[in-house]
Amino acid sequence: MDKIGIPRGLFYYYYGDIWKYFFENLKISYIVSPNTNKEIMEKALKASGDEMCLSLKTYLGHVEYLKDKCQYILIPRISNYKKNNQTCTNFWAVYDIVKNQTDTKLLHYNIDLEKRKTLKKGLYKIAKQLGKEKHQIRKAYKNAIIRYKKQRKKEISINLNKLKSDKTKILIVSHPYNTYDSLIGKDIIKYLIKNDVEVIYCDKFSSKITNKLGETLAKELYFKYSKDNIGSIVYCKDKIDGIIFISSFPCAPDSLVNELVTRKIKIPNINLIIDDNSSFTGLETRLESFLDMLGGLDND
Amino acid sequence: MKECYLGIDIGSISTKGVIIDENNNIITSSYIWTEGNPVNAVKKLINILKKDLSSEYIIKGIGTTGSARKLIGLMLKANIVKNEITAHAVGTLTFYKDARTILEIGGQDSKIILLKNGIITNYAMNTLCAAGTGSFLSSQAKRLGIEVKDFGKYALKSKNPVKIAARCTVFAESDLVHKAQIGYKKEDIIAGLCKSVVLNYLNNVGKGKKIEGPVIFQGGVSKNEGVVKYFKEILNQDIIVDPNSHLMGAIGIAVLARKNKNGNTYSLKVDDIKFDTKPSECNLCSNNCELLRIYRNGTLVDSWGSKCGRY
Repeated sequence: MDKIGIPRGLFYYYYGDIWKYFFENLKISYIVSPNTNKEIMEKALKASGDEMCLSLKTYLGHVEYLKDKCQYILIPRISNYKKNNQTCTNFWAVYDIVKNQTDTKLLHYNIDLEKRKTLKKGLYKIAKQLGKEKHQIRKAYKNAIIRYKKQRKKEISINLNKLKSDKTKILIVSHPYNTYDSLIGKDIIKYLIKNDVEVIYCDKFSSKITNKLGETLAKELYFKYSKDNIGSIVYCKDKIDGIIFISSFPCAPDSLVNELVTRKIKIPNINLIIDDNSSFTGLETRLESFLDMLGGLDND
Repeated sequence: MKECYLGIDIGSISTKGVIIDENNNIITSSYIWTEGNPVNAVKKLINILKKDLSSEYIIKGIGTTGSARKLIGLMLKANIVKNEITAHAVGTLTFYKDARTILEIGGQDSKIILLKNGIITNYAMNTLCAAGTGSFLSSQAKRLGIEVKDFGKYALKSKNPVKIAARCTVFAESDLVHKAQIGYKKEDIIAGLCKSVVLNYLNNVGKGKKIEGPVIFQGGVSKNEGVVKYFKEILNQDIIVDPNSHLMGAIGIAVLARKNKNGNTYSLKVDDIKFDTKPSECNLCSNNCELLRIYRNGTLVDSWGSKCGRY
């Protein structure tokens, strides 16, 4: 049995790589749940309440999957990244939800920059709990961060290079846990790539730049991840042909932010809302017609 | 011999077909119910169309659109399969070159298409929810015991349309039941329903869109005079409803079939095509894809639903 279980959802798409490198450096075995599949989805629907968003539901499905496959499940709580940079309430609440539902032990840390609770402190705390020495932890953390930053830099430069492409360029504005989830966004991305579209991801920009730019579109907004997402629109507004918003039903920040943004920008866009209906037919109609529109309709 | 082109629009509720000639004139057209079986509906449709087609015409192109476009496209070996937004825009522009806004309400979809100089500049389609579309109206017509085609006439009779919740059809339905039970007249309720469809449409897909004239209203619901009346009233604009408004998608795809002709000739002998679909579940990996395999005359022609591309 592996020591630590990492559910492939929500936090994983922000911190997964750092976690993996950190635990590898410390020689702690871990297991990441597989891509969302039918089995996980069925577990998810059983474990979740009816008002939760699809992303949170799938996350709980991943937790259920890992339940008896590891000693600890890693679930952080992310509250804020300093003032006016809060996260969605799911990121606050999921630890408590899981704690009340499962008997498996949880590994937990808080990120709350207003109270100076950082990722570093969090990971130190966890490793200490698992019986590692301080000098080991320091080294492991340092190496993990260096490796992560290097990889991130590469991803960002690939994304930026795509902006110079001659193909039709579409910016995907969506949270990474939706974009890359095999149930929510992956089919959409696959469809676009198959149709020769250059897909640009909104989360693969430097958050330092996009967070500031996001404020130019919506001054009062205080969701960190939404700010980052819409900042990418401002960043590449003259270089892209269209925008596809993907959100999971019923995401509260997205329903507000996407609506606000579509009123302010002058770039062709569509808003796709995904729930657990398994047919791709409806989405295909919308995507196909969107690509037709971008291509311009020739008419005699 | 003259060339002609067949366009079929297979919607959730109705199946529409037209045959046009080289100059986009309609030679023959038909409109029948899909009844949940697109394959049979199309066979029936083609047999009806065939009767009115004189023998001097040969079919040089077939196009399919609508929600069953892929399936029927395979069955008829169509030379073009396109989504309904593009088809509707092309169809409308064939007759109204200066159209700026197309309102479309169909069986389970509603859409708005904005055009400028013959190019689609923006459009919206209902998202997950099918509130306020044709299927809602037809199920309510059944509840009230009248034919859906008489719906509009009833609505026009009303002097005081009742207020019905416009946001969600589940709420609208309970609202409607309550209003009926406390004694409102049937025509007032029907008029209220038509109005709520319009309000729902404008608040849902029409949200934030600038509706400029000429405005063209199409799709099955455009045949409902009540809905047309309230669109005119609320938008304060003239609404054009073409006599062929229900066929626009089919006309559009027929026009596209003409533009994309590849020299092949098609026959309309559909009765002897044996067309089967077999659903199954693949258990080779944890994705458990729901597969649908399509057989034409006993041979496998395509299969859908596989995520990995094995089938």
